[in-house]
Amino acid sequence: MNKNQRFILKTLLSSLIRRRSRIAIALLGVAIGATVLLGMVTLCYDIPRQMGQEFRSYGANLLLMPANNQPTMPMTEVKKAVSLLPQDKVLGVTPFRYDSIRSNQQPYTIVGTQFDQVINTSPYWKIEGEVPKNPNEIMIGTDIAHFAKLSIGSTIPISGKSKQNSRFDEELTITGIVKTGRAEDNFIFIELNDLETLLEENNQAEVVEISITATQDELQRYIQTIKDNSSTVEPHLIKWVTQSEASVLGKLSSLLYLVTMVVLILTMICVATTMMTVVMERRKEIGLKKAIGATNKSIAKEFLAEGLILGIVGGVIGVICGLIFAQIISANVFGRSIVIEFYLIPTTIIISAVVTIIACLIPVKRALEVEPALVLRGE
Amino acid sequence: MFRRMLLSVLVRQKKKLFLIALTVALGVSLATAMLNVMFDVGDKVNQELKAYGANLNIVPKGAALVNELYQLDNADTRAAIQYIKQDDLVKIKMIFWAYNIVDFAPYLTTQVTVNDKPVTLVGTWFNKHLTIPTGDEVDTGMLAMKSWWSIEGNTMKDDNLQGVMVGETIATQLNLKLGDSLELISPLTNKKVTLTVNNIFHSGGIEDAELYVSLPVAQNLANKDGLVERVEVSALTTPENDLARKAAQDPNSLSRTEWDTWYCTAYISSIAYQLEELMPDVRVKAIMQVAESEGSILQKTQLLMLLLTVLSLICSALAISNLVTANVIERSTEIGLLKALGATNISVAMLILTEILIIALLGGMVGYFVGLGFAQIIGQTVFGSFVEPKMIIIPLVLIMVSMITLLGSLPALRIMMFLRPTDVLHGR
Repeated sequence: MNKNQRFILKTLLSSLIRRRSRIAIALLGVAIGATVLLGMVTLCYDIPRQMGQEFRSYGANLLLMPANNQPTMPMTEVKKAVSLLPQDKVLGVTPFRYDSIRSNQQPYTIVGTQFDQVINTSPYWKIEGEVPKNPNEIMIGTDIAHFAKLSIGSTIPISGKSKQNSRFDEELTITGIVKTGRAEDNFIFIELNDLETLLEENNQAEVVEISITATQDELQRYIQTIKDNSSTVEPHLIKWVTQSEASVLGKLSSLLYLVTMVVLILTMICVATTMMTVVMERRKEIGLKKAIGATNKSIAKEFLAEGLILGIVGGVIGVICGLIFAQIISANVFGRSIVIEFYLIPTTIIISAVVTIIACLIPVKRALEVEPALVLRGE
Repeated sequence: MFRRMLLSVLVRQKKKLFLIALTVALGVSLATAMLNVMFDVGDKVNQELKAYGANLNIVPKGAALVNELYQLDNADTRAAIQYIKQDDLVKIKMIFWAYNIVDFAPYLTTQVTVNDKPVTLVGTWFNKHLTIPTGDEVDTGMLAMKSWWSIEGNTMKDDNLQGVMVGETIATQLNLKLGDSLELISPLTNKKVTLTVNNIFHSGGIEDAELYVSLPVAQNLANKDGLVERVEVSALTTPENDLARKAAQDPNSLSRTEWDTWYCTAYISSIAYQLEELMPDVRVKAIMQVAESEGSILQKTQLLMLLLTVLSLICSALAISNLVTANVIERSTEIGLLKALGATNISVAMLILTEILIIALLGGMVGYFVGLGFAQIIGQTVFGSFVEPKMIIIPLVLIMVSMITLLGSLPALRIMMFLRPTDVLHGR
């Protein structure tokens, strides 16, 4: 290390140590900028995904139906088709079977389904009481409950014909009443296995609803994969859900992008003005250095190094604060932890260093242009 | 003396003070933009969520069970179905929350045969112009509520009594193209009508196997003049809370004040209740899939924006106070000189505070308008609509600016108090 380098290092260190309050201010400014940068960009990345999960409360977005005009499809084929989907994104797979029965001479539609899955694919069902857990237990739609004056705990007789054309008569207990505002209000729900015992059939489904976290394009791709691999199952997009989700989610993420942009630009300018004020104060020092023979280049180099250190230290502090900031928002709003894009961390530090250096060098350059004598005189 | 010093500082230190004004302006514009967007985001997202279509279903009282259940359709159950009078529909726009009703559309379903094949025909309003007895005029109909349909052909009009919208499935089955004509026969009334294919649509649901015509055509075919079967309503609603849930069970269980609050809030249950009050013999059912999800998404978005606003307010406050501190520290020589000449701490503090406050208020004023501009840019690009500037933001921002500059000056003033004139003037 030659003499010159040692001198630069010494002035740098002493300038950092002696001017503690100024350095604290500059660091705080850079750290705020980096916090906002990392926090907002991380949120911007993650929120559309998080919101996508929220949108699953609208229920299923993919439908599997029997191909070739068959009335039903075997569940083994459905399982095969579902295994083609990314498992970590599938929230629920619910099979349905419909049949008509009579109860006290009134015709009704009975629906066989898996209740543990229905809760996942149709989280909006308002269920009073409980879903059936045992055989001979059913859940009825609210309109039937009104119409036939039934309540939880009462029993109703049902009768119908099995697929083998033998008659069945059963007495079933109501454990829950479901309200959706749609056709479900007029249905009787029973566990799929129990319905198939009555119908004397095994492992068949008429419709399978799937709720999966995916965009419309991803869904189209999954549909193509299933079409290519299965001849018994036909996938359909529930356009009503996916299209509306795509439009609303698009709006939300562009809102977020714009807000992030505005916030970022403003904070970066704020950081720059703070740095400029802190550096502008040192015009006298620059003048003195020039007067005793420092070249413009060496002064610029010194400020560059100082800016770099400030930018990196501030950036690291900001990265930590930014991650906490993003985590707080994600935990409060969505109750989930945020997914961090790791390449954002070095990017943030680099950007804050660059902004700091630029903000340092603008006033330094202005100070360098002036004659040292003028600066020292205080003009 | 005080005024002269103040003026001379303002005039001479233009550049430095300009930086403060700029930072304050930026901070304030950020705050204004975020606050404006935050207050408005609920309404805006609510509007966007209308893409999901109706959240209320109006059906005749007795028919609630029968009509949705029997698509089997034998003549005697059909006859037992009740109807809603078409003349009652304007009352939807006359309830207390009339302005929250975004769109509504009536439907009348009947069976027809095309080439001896049975097909479901639905009569509806596409985009009907209505005059409400209160003097308002509205355009409402199905097209606005089915935003996810992809429709081929020119927009269908309500006065187009010769046109029909054909579902994709049927169009493929019958090999229909735009402009083709098809003959419909009603098996119930034996009426016959020939219509031209105006549109072919794809909905991704059971509608793809149906025909849609203007309401009078269906009424004529089914011999049900002036009657409709059900009405879909799309309303802007407030997310449900405990009160709304309690009311949904039984409105009569509420106390007087609770009832007033509930009735005067746009909960889906209170809108349903008001519709039932005004229209005779109907049941209004909330479509849970839309209503429930809407509430949760709306709350999430509002909370998100609130948190982002609070955090960006904190950030801009820190940035502003940081700069004010930096500015005061920088002027330690000047302050030292003032003190050496005999100025008291209080008079110096007053001078600095007044000067910074004036600058901050000027900057804040500029920032407020810039912020309004940002809010409009966000509103226009994202939602394509005007963001209503809220008056409450002005005092909020005013208080914020004063508080931040005062608080931001505190550390600097503390430093100034302990400043020894000799040290500063000596240059240490």
